Amino acid sequence: MTTQDAQPGPPGVMPGPGEPVRWLKVIDQTRCIGCHACTTACKSENEVPLSVTRTYVKSVDTGVFPEARRAFQVTRCNQCEDAPCVAACPTAAMFTRPDGIVDFDKDACIGCKACMAACPYDAIFINPEDHSAEKCNLCAHRIDSGLEPACVVVCPTQAILVGPAGGSPAASIVAREPVTVRRPEKGTKPKLFYRGATQATLDPLAARRPAGDTFAWSEVQRGPGQVVSGHPGGGNSSAAALLSYDIGHRAPWDWRVSLYTWTKGVAAGTYLVAVLGTLAGYLSWHSALTVWAAPLIAAVFLAATGGLLVWDLEHPRRFGYILTRPQWRSWLVRGGVILAGYAAVLGLHLLAWLTGSTGLRQAVAVPGVPLAALAAVYTAYLFAQAKARDLWQNPLLPAHLLIQAGVGGSAALLLAAAWWQPSAAAWLEWLLLGTCAAHLLLVLGEAAIGHPTEHARLAAHEMTRGTFAGLFWAGFGLVAAGMTVPVAGAWAAPLALAGLAAYEHAFVQAGQCVPLA
Amino acid sequence: VDLEKIGARVSAACADTLARGETFYPGASRVHLAAFPPKERWDDWTYLDSRRAARRAMLVPTTCFNCESACGLLAYVDRDTLAVRKFEGNPEHPGSRGRNCAKGPATLNQVTDPDRILYPLKRAGRRGEGRWVQVSWDEALDDIAGRIRAAITEDRRNEIMYHVGRPGEDGFTERVLASWGVDGHNSHTNVCSSGARAGYHFWMGIDRPSPDHANADVILLVSAHLESGHYFNPHAQRITDAKARGAKLIVFDTRLSNTATHADHWLAPHPGSEAAILLAIANHLIQAGRYDREFVRRWWNWAEYLACEHPEAEATFERFEEILRGLYADYTIEFAAAESGVDAAVIAAVAEAVASAGTRLATHSWRSAAAGNLGGWQVARCLFLLNCLLGAVATEGGTFPNAWSKFVPRPVYTPGHPGTWNELTWPDEYPLALNEMSFLLPHFLKEGRGHLAVYFTRVYNPVWTNPDGLTWVEVLTEEDLIGLHVALTPVWNETAYFADYILPMGVGSERHDLHSYEQYDGQWIAFRQPVLRAARERLGQPVSYTRQVNPGEVWEENEFWIELSWRIDPEGSLGIRRYYESPERPGAKLTVDEYYAWIFGHSVPGLPERASAEGLTPLEFMRRYGAFEISAGVGAVHEQAVPPAELLDIAENRYGRVYTRAADPPGPNVVPVATPDGDSDGRRPAGVRVDGVIRRGFPTPSGRLEFYSGTLAGWGWPEHALPGYIRSHVHPAVLAPDQLVLISTFRLPTQIHTRGANAKWLNELAHTNPLWIHPADAARLGITAGGLVRVETEIGYFVGKAWVTEGIRPGVVACSHHMGRWKLTTPADGPAGPRQVAPTVDLAADGGQWRMRHRAGVRPYDSADRDTRRIWWGDVGVHQNLTFAVHPDPISGQHCWHQAVRVRPAADGDAYGDIAVDTSQAHAAYRDWLRRCRPAPGHSPDGTRRPYWLMRPLKPGRDAYRLAPDSAARDR
Repeated sequence: MTTQDAQPGPPGVMPGPGEPVRWLKVIDQTRCIGCHACTTACKSENEVPLSVTRTYVKSVDTGVFPEARRAFQVTRCNQCEDAPCVAACPTAAMFTRPDGIVDFDKDACIGCKACMAACPYDAIFINPEDHSAEKCNLCAHRIDSGLEPACVVVCPTQAILVGPAGGSPAASIVAREPVTVRRPEKGTKPKLFYRGATQATLDPLAARRPAGDTFAWSEVQRGPGQVVSGHPGGGNSSAAALLSYDIGHRAPWDWRVSLYTWTKGVAAGTYLVAVLGTLAGYLSWHSALTVWAAPLIAAVFLAATGGLLVWDLEHPRRFGYILTRPQWRSWLVRGGVILAGYAAVLGLHLLAWLTGSTGLRQAVAVPGVPLAALAAVYTAYLFAQAKARDLWQNPLLPAHLLIQAGVGGSAALLLAAAWWQPSAAAWLEWLLLGTCAAHLLLVLGEAAIGHPTEHARLAAHEMTRGTFAGLFWAGFGLVAAGMTVPVAGAWAAPLALAGLAAYEHAFVQAGQCVPLA
Repeated sequence: VDLEKIGARVSAACADTLARGETFYPGASRVHLAAFPPKERWDDWTYLDSRRAARRAMLVPTTCFNCESACGLLAYVDRDTLAVRKFEGNPEHPGSRGRNCAKGPATLNQVTDPDRILYPLKRAGRRGEGRWVQVSWDEALDDIAGRIRAAITEDRRNEIMYHVGRPGEDGFTERVLASWGVDGHNSHTNVCSSGARAGYHFWMGIDRPSPDHANADVILLVSAHLESGHYFNPHAQRITDAKARGAKLIVFDTRLSNTATHADHWLAPHPGSEAAILLAIANHLIQAGRYDREFVRRWWNWAEYLACEHPEAEATFERFEEILRGLYADYTIEFAAAESGVDAAVIAAVAEAVASAGTRLATHSWRSAAAGNLGGWQVARCLFLLNCLLGAVATEGGTFPNAWSKFVPRPVYTPGHPGTWNELTWPDEYPLALNEMSFLLPHFLKEGRGHLAVYFTRVYNPVWTNPDGLTWVEVLTEEDLIGLHVALTPVWNETAYFADYILPMGVGSERHDLHSYEQYDGQWIAFRQPVLRAARERLGQPVSYTRQVNPGEVWEENEFWIELSWRIDPEGSLGIRRYYESPERPGAKLTVDEYYAWIFGHSVPGLPERASAEGLTPLEFMRRYGAFEISAGVGAVHEQAVPPAELLDIAENRYGRVYTRAADPPGPNVVPVATPDGDSDGRRPAGVRVDGVIRRGFPTPSGRLEFYSGTLAGWGWPEHALPGYIRSHVHPAVLAPDQLVLISTFRLPTQIHTRGANAKWLNELAHTNPLWIHPADAARLGITAGGLVRVETEIGYFVGKAWVTEGIRPGVVACSHHMGRWKLTTPADGPAGPRQVAPTVDLAADGGQWRMRHRAGVRPYDSADRDTRRIWWGDVGVHQNLTFAVHPDPISGQHCWHQAVRVRPAADGDAYGDIAVDTSQAHAAYRDWLRRCRPAPGHSPDGTRRPYWLMRPLKPGRDAYRLAPDSAARDR
């Protein structure tokens, strides 16, 4: 029995002075009537603009008449003990307080959306007024004043409770009753526990997406960048579940991130291929490609990479925070350092060209080769840190990115060679052929193989047979066309490059197109 | 922000609060966090906003106006800017207990709505053309007052009419009309709750139920009261607590509501069959002998029933029981199952659950089936029959008559009721209608039954809310029929487009009102107040009129009516002014402060003492805390023995009704109840003798619960004298094979009806009303999910979208009544209207053939609120009510909302939101339903228009009740 009695007077549970508190939250769906009081109370308390929301009540209709039922899920940040958003945030704008609340600092946020990509619950959004990431933070400002969160206070049926994990009615429910959390397989250890929630709401793919353009009383938001909730097929549940209300969700990373993976691949690959080709004896330390063409192409693409990254930020002027207030677990920070290091390598290499110093060129290659390789590969770790996106959790991704860098690098160098150093074309053609083949092999594997989770399967399905199929197969065909390079020569290189770009976009967007809430 | 620096000022935590000797408000979590700041600090509370900026606020209570529950709100008025920053609940409010639904916090949206009306406006072009000029309040008041004065002095009193949507107050405006001597009160009740009211009223002389959900063992709702309707937040709190305690919840609802989903037993009957199921349950109780024999014997008017209907029978209770066993014997569970389509095993389980409840059966019906069906009033009557059988009336966990859980304090003046009878609202055809025949008004005017000189619509939008709105448009544009239309409204609405004056009145936090509602076994009052006025006064800045603090020149109705009444009778020669004079300052105009100070000081038991204990005047106390509980645990008033002082020269009729010559002691609570007649010697009813003791009983003619209604029997409806089952106008037997039933009335927990307009947070949550249809029906009719459908009624059609769902009975479709707002194409400089919810439409008529088509949808727009650029929804629903003909129930007068419709995929050329209506067919439908009536002439047993004892908001003198000499001869 968990009825809260309504008698006035002080509560039985109070931590003593200095006693550490670890907050947890219980949402009792057996009491929730789906009234959305929490939704508007939160909008009011936290001044949340239209089009975004910190909390809302998802609803799913299950069963068949007359045994139908509607299941609710108050949907919001899970206050994870092992919060992916905190790990992914480059500037510690998302952080875990000593009392366990996952909070955010709007002044530190650069707007990279890594937290949004990481959150398996799609609970974070960019506030359109201040352009910083935010989410439910348990009304930390109220808790710090000794007040309950706004949703707890407003709830007509007292379906929302917070309490110290060390002893409180909420903690008793967690300890003694059958409670559930959303998506435990993500290993985030949510501290928001649901009592009486059903799989039909907990699993974002259990309920099917309505066919038309409305839910039961609200429009379905569709359009570019929108992630429509619900399973696009028949639903991942045998319970005849239909999503009857959800809010609009957006994919965090748009075409700029897709393009960044491509420009960065070319930037890393060009230098890597040139230097490795030199070490292997296909080029000399004095050949045009090695001396200036490769580093110059790499530098241009690296600059474009940086430009895209900054452009994608909601706070572009805070770009430097990545280096001035780094959060080292973030692959955005690690990647930033790698790219900075790689930029320095390229700078020195170009300096060696200007000064004519072969020694410098050779010396720079010592850190240069691993840095270029890292620059190619680190994005796999960045994507993997986006725990929400199953498609990106691919152990072959580092290798694949290296191969893609090979495609990009050999294609770019081939074009340069055609102009400046035709003698180098032959081995570059074979390298392009080989990397293209390897790339297509991996891509085919992605398309053909089964996936361990429904999320990954749906993402792969959208990539190869759904929304992004055109792009995906165009990319496939163009890279395949690139394999005509031994015959077509340098003319095939742009085809391979374009195919790679198309594939990157399909892969990056498909990874984000599966609903999480 | 340095928390240390703010120090204790910002702490509401338990230990700190208790250490300061202040009030700790525990919250749901039952930990050291408070739900609200201590009330001792409400004057000057420092808090952190969500950006961690320290802010100083004054916490000022008021009452939510977004439904009829009257939940408490606390406005956070910024001490620096004197702007309201947010609304939370009021922990001092005994009904809502600090909690709110989604609509409470959204009050802020209404305050800051960029499209609201800020100044009095006067029509500049034709009515409905959309041209307006700003006028002063003085100009508007003088014009309106002059016309009213002329109507009064020229004895055209019936040409003055006030038509109210949701009152949100208890009796203020009724007394204004009484003071003018006009029978001009018109309400929305007959499109809302009068069906249920009639059912309850015939039982107990009180027209509303007050279920004690918190203590019930079984809760039976013929409604969606866990999420919508009257008292949803207060009731949801108590129902949920009861459920957690183990109470069983039974819900009748043809569509899957949020309430149904929480039910232990969800019954989705064919619409209109609810009473059949209830009678089958009753029959189960009767046949199994599982009713409370003592309660039935003591409190039912069975003796009167036997005497009137079975004069040959022995007048014993045992004989009555024998007859009772026969009365409902045909209502077997199998019969109910066949009528309703509900599985017999489910009905049997429900009957068993009800039987097990004993006196802890809480039941409730308000709109729902009672408002949907011909004979719907019998649904409420049959529901309350279960309480009456089980003795679960005014018991712990049972259902109370609402008047015992409600307190309406007597004001300083109670003007006598008018001497006239307005046949436009109380026509002879409907002698038993419990409320005004409001939705027939345009047909009455069209028929030449009268015309109006001054017609007020007040937070009332008949063009949109009522059935047959285009007939309203036809009449509202006819200046011969309505001389002056004054719309009192905070926001644009479809009816206000056809007004002559639009007078902006404050939203929930910008006005004074006093009310009390039955939400548990106790009585409380809640005070709505203009929070900025209260805040300024706390700062020592007196305010003489609320419009000085409201946005623009927005005013409030209390002050408006005082001012208008004063101008109608500036010299006092008409006898009106005296009701608006200060009780303290003879000859001076009454102020709202004086009005409420008098009430709180004189008519609220316990309040002066409680206020004085805190060193406050009663008015200061109410301004500070917003609500006051007068009593809890009122219990069974009907069982109270009548004190000997009230029994003077008593007489008693053959059934034990006791009459007295002692005057009725003027109590402070003037809650409306029925007024049963006295005896022929001029005594008034005092009580009823039960087993030798004279008890208070019920305000019915018999003083008992009227299982048998002599009123219905005597006024031409003997076949309905007992609780019974009337087959609905949408019964399967009367539907054509290709017709379905449309349920058009269901509500969402997140919307406010017509007054909501631009509550942006609510509109973002819910903004469209697709047609719910079962997959089997959709497949049969070739309708796809999300596809356009044309829904054809008897007078036209509308084009909407399909929501294919398992949450609706096959053969039935449903469409929420909230959405489908619209605005007319207006001149470029015309009003924008509520741009978040209303598309611009083209509306044109060719003869009575009307067509509406969406011209421009809802889209983002620039305004003072940056959020309006972020409006992402464009589909705001379709206005189905325009396509409904009027269906007045011949007894209760309730509009029977359910529609027999044909649903098909939209035709070529149909566009979403299209409406087509033929108003000549609408008028024919009205004439058709009128033929079902049994008018007072020809059926009145005593030559009066209406049984005098029935409740009536304004009760003319007995002379006015006499039928006009010519009325019997009038062509029907």
